[in-house]
Order: sequence, then C-alpha cells, then structure tokens
Amino acid sequence: MHEFGVTKSLVELCNKEADKNKIKKVYKIHLKVGKFTGFSPDSIEFYFEHLKINTKCDTAEIVFEEIPIRIKCNDCGKQHNIEEPILLCPACGSNEIDLLSGREFYVASIEGE
Amino acid sequence: MKKIKVLKPVLVSNQQRALENRKVFDHMKSLVINIIASPGAGKTSFIKRTVKQFKNRYKVLVIEGDIKGQIDSKTISKLGVDVIQINTVTECHLDAFMAAQVLPKIKKRYDLILVENVGNLVCPAEFEIGEDYKLAILSTPEGDDKPLKYPLLFHLAKVVVINKVDLLPYLDFNTEKAKKGIRQDNPKAIIFDVSSKTGTGFAAVFRHLEKELDAKKKKNKG
Repeated sequence: MHEFGVTKSLVELCNKEADKNKIKKVYKIHLKVGKFTGFSPDSIEFYFEHLKINTKCDTAEIVFEEIPIRIKCNDCGKQHNIEEPILLCPACGSNEIDLLSGREFYVASIEGE
Repeated sequence: MKKIKVLKPVLVSNQQRALENRKVFDHMKSLVINIIASPGAGKTSFIKRTVKQFKNRYKVLVIEGDIKGQIDSKTISKLGVDVIQINTVTECHLDAFMAAQVLPKIKKRYDLILVENVGNLVCPAEFEIGEDYKLAILSTPEGDDKPLKYPLLFHLAKVVVINKVDLLPYLDFNTEKAKKGIRQDNPKAIIFDVSSKTGTGFAAVFRHLEKELDAKKKKNKG
C-alpha cells in the first residue's frame, strides 16, 4: 500500500548516491529489509519498474536481502532469531526482550558504472 | 563496474523531517500524540471525549488526517477547539512532510496536539511524523487477533486503547487474549479498556494523559 512513496524515496536515494560517486548507470541496488517492517518486496519491485524510468536506475534491479528478527532476552541472556514478531523468549518465556534486528530498511550498496 | 557502499536508510528523509518537526513541537512544549487505528475503530470518538475533558484547562489542537474530505474536522471544530485538516489524497498514511506542511498553520502554542492518522493498521506505523508517541486503538468488533496480525503498530504504540467494550456481551472478543497479543508485541504497552460511547474507562486514560502533559512540560524546563 505505502510502497509507492517508499520506492520513490529509494529511487531518489540511489540516484543521489550515483551522482555523488560519478556513476552513470546503476545496475544493482542491494536493499536490506528487516522481517519486522511492513514493506513488501513484491510491491517495491512493482513500483520500482515504473519509478526508475528515465533515471540513473533505469537498468537497475533490486537485490533484496532479508534481515531476520533477532531478540535478546534480558532474563536468561539468550539470543534468538524468531520467525514471527512475537516478543517472547523462546527459551524461558520472558517478555523482557530487546529487539536486536528486524526493523532495518536501508540501501547497503549500489553497483554501476 | 563500481560497487559503492551506501548504508543509508531509505526513509532517512522522513526520519530527519520527523526529528525537525519534533524539535518544533518540543520548543512549543506541545505533547503530540499520533493516533492510529482501523477505519471505524473510534479514533474520532476517542478524540472528542479527550477534547471535551481537556479543552477548558489546556490548549488543544487536533490535526485530522484523511484521504479525502473534512467530515471529522467539522465534527471536532464544533467542540470549540482548533482543527487542521490534512488530505493525503493518494497516500494511506500521514508522514513527516505532510506534518511539516501544517506547521506554518500553527499560529500559537498548544499543550496537547492530537493527530488522527488515516484509518489503517499497517502504513501509518512505518512513518514517524514527529510525535511524542503513538496511541493505537483496537475496537472489539475487529477481533482479538489483530495485535498478532498487525504486530508492528502494537509494537511501536506506547499506549493501546481497547475501545467499544460496551459491545463485549454481543461479541466473541476475548479481552485477555487481545491483551496477551498486545503484550507479545510490546511488553511495555500501557493498555486501557474504554467505551467512547458510554465513557467507561476514560478516567484512567485522562489520568495518564494528565501525567504525560505534566511530564512534557517538565521535560522542556530541563
């Protein structure tokens, strides 16, 4: 739903970085997406195909790299990767949890020439 | 072929803008609450009760976010407080830039700014606007499974209001199950059970808001 605006920001960011690094054509965008975000790669790709036209990202593709939801339990001290964002320690059941990763949404790198 | 490290968040501009908005709100010593819920969950009714409670002792502003129209702003302005309408047109959420656009329209300082986001449990959660905190409303007809289906909002919301408890006798909504779900998303969530229709439970909400208003004032003194 909200991926249109987000993808627009993504294209702007990549074009700006390309400008800064004297890249004329971007071929690949490595995008890190945490599993605890509401962003759908399919929707991002759908909008990207339209938004990239006539920009330096015209020939670029997005390489999605998913980041797992990782939590640390403050009671038993253990760390776990969890599939669903249910913030309970799988080992001891405590809800004294710190979220270590899963909320990321950033461009790791771009490739081009 | 070159590979360039970027390591920049895609929403960096929104986050930056949100931080700038918050500086403005902090400077004005305004407590800003971003109210997020499904369409029909009772955001406007919640705001109406809150406005009525606080308008005589505090300066209150309501910012109404809707895709289209001014239905809610008209309802709220009848209560005698200032209202600013944002129409998002195509967007399903408010973002920091939309909030920034209304800043010049804020001509005086307010103690409390209630922002009614676009009715949606998904998108508004992702975009900060410069608020002090998010308040999520879950209404009983929506079902007790929603906190586990839309975990991000409940994870980020400091306060969760379970609304329409007056309908509980007619529904299969299990309040304990809903609260368990909310606590799984967010162990520190402050949860209130209310009915905007009857007023049940609002005394506790108002006590909480009163404390928050006080804390915001003190925070800015220091």
